[in-house]
Amino acid sequence: MKSIIFKSVAAVAVFAFILSSCKKDTQEPETTTGNGQVSVKLFHHWGMESTKFQMNTDYTHPMNGDTMSFSTYKYYISNFRLKKSDGTWWKHPESYFLVDLSNEASTTLSLGSIPAGEYIEMSYVLGVDSLRNVSGAQSGALSPSNDMFWSWMTGYVMIKAEGQSPQSSTGNFAFHLGGFSGQYSVVATKSVTFSNPLTITTGKTSEVHFDVNTAMTWCTSGSCAGTSSVMMPGAAAFQMATDFHNGFNFDHIVE
Amino acid sequence: MKHFLIFIILTGLFACKKEIIKTEWIGLSYPSYFPDPVYKFNNNELTVQRFALGKKLFFDKNLSLDGTIACASCHAQSHGFADHNVSFSSGVGGALGTRNSPSIANMIWSPSFMWDGGVNHIEVFSVAPITNPLEMKETMAHVVSKLNADSEYLILFKEAYGVSQINDQVMLRALTNYMSMIVSCNSKYDKVKQGKASFTTLENNGYTLFQAKCATCHTEPLFTNYSYINNGLDSVFTDLGRARITFNDLDRGKFKVPSLRNVTLTYPYMHDGRFWTLDQVLDHYSEGIKPSSTLHPSLVDGIPLSIDEKSAIKAFLGTLKDNELLNNRLFY
Repeated sequence: MKSIIFKSVAAVAVFAFILSSCKKDTQEPETTTGNGQVSVKLFHHWGMESTKFQMNTDYTHPMNGDTMSFSTYKYYISNFRLKKSDGTWWKHPESYFLVDLSNEASTTLSLGSIPAGEYIEMSYVLGVDSLRNVSGAQSGALSPSNDMFWSWMTGYVMIKAEGQSPQSSTGNFAFHLGGFSGQYSVVATKSVTFSNPLTITTGKTSEVHFDVNTAMTWCTSGSCAGTSSVMMPGAAAFQMATDFHNGFNFDHIVE
Repeated sequence: MKHFLIFIILTGLFACKKEIIKTEWIGLSYPSYFPDPVYKFNNNELTVQRFALGKKLFFDKNLSLDGTIACASCHAQSHGFADHNVSFSSGVGGALGTRNSPSIANMIWSPSFMWDGGVNHIEVFSVAPITNPLEMKETMAHVVSKLNADSEYLILFKEAYGVSQINDQVMLRALTNYMSMIVSCNSKYDKVKQGKASFTTLENNGYTLFQAKCATCHTEPLFTNYSYINNGLDSVFTDLGRARITFNDLDRGKFKVPSLRNVTLTYPYMHDGRFWTLDQVLDHYSEGIKPSSTLHPSLVDGIPLSIDEKSAIKAFLGTLKDNELLNNRLFY
């Protein structure tokens, strides 16, 4: 009995070996589907204004009436994922971007090597996911040298906005909105379902446009006369971050 | 000619390394009764090149704004890797910090860093002193640019991490390699644990008392349980401690329990360096506890100790001094 089992196992093994070697011989490089790219383009504007947001320019806040001029306006966006029509997800590896409104190039985010096909949903995170906040020294967009990292209470700032406002008692304002855990986490996963699927074509770049209303951050917090500085996690940071998130919206696709 | 050049470069490298490491490299070692370290060296395996580079960085005053303060300035081997017996450390321009500089020995076992536990990972720990305006007052970006302008650092980083350009990630990882090796595990207490020495009668009495009255928080073998407690220093808090990080009122006045290894060298004591002697510390626990709403329940009535008991505990604490670490040529 034992020897019969052994013989059949051996036969199967030999057969499998022959099969696998056959397969190797006949295998050809994949040519049917290749990879395409997505260029995420972020269009920033102030309130109802349709022109591009400018740094160091006086703006009037549409709700609280403050005059605000920005010397710093930057934020993190991370963890881009795309959902295929069959329900499976493609994850962009090392997907961390620091969008700096004083650097035009940083408002276009390149997602490379996406398998060709149709995608029905895009998901992303505003801020840096909690895992990277607890995993030690990071590099690239997440380097502490980018000045978006709290050293005294480890964690990334989701959005940093600084500048001048005559309504502020000091003349200045500084909002560093962060916190990655608990009820006041400012990190938010957002997603957009495409009514017409996003088609990724081999060797081509498709554009996904987002509209960012930079004034939204202050739509609940009120005038800089009241609060001109938020530097730690908590209810105030959470409210402002949530308002910023709500001002960040999918606009259209260009294929 | 080409080979000759390579030979010269290699000799140069070897010379550098010899200069930094004066003793035999045996890597990380600790006794079997120590727990597994919290730090796992992920993407930052311990190597002699990385350690040597971390050591050079640790002693490099150029990590501070005006080239006056190094990590080693406030974490001195001769003082158990704490500061030179000052309540608050001096930073750039003589600025004084607000908390006592603690020992950085046995960091790889610590789940959090700083008196309030605000830093969650050993690799990002160094960002805090480097960028604190009361300490080294630098920016990470500027430190990195200074390092990239230094040809010797470029060679050492290439050798240690295979990078041709230095970034803050490899800089922080190299410092972590150095700090990871600062392990205090060769005190008399350890020798006794290992059966290689024995306590005097007084030390032994002190050990028994310590286990009964102190070890709940100062848990062996690292002599801390890494919790945050209010040990009754104040009724009104000028420093909120742990609450500064958690924003929780129940954490007001709580600070991380410090390790007691090398405690005879690391005075003054407490987060603000208010006690200069172990006598003052023991008197505090015995008869000086101040009430407050967040006071640790076990300290409400203090820890009453007789004069003899205090002497015995002090004798035991003396056995936590680790002369091998204090004199180990690997670190200086």
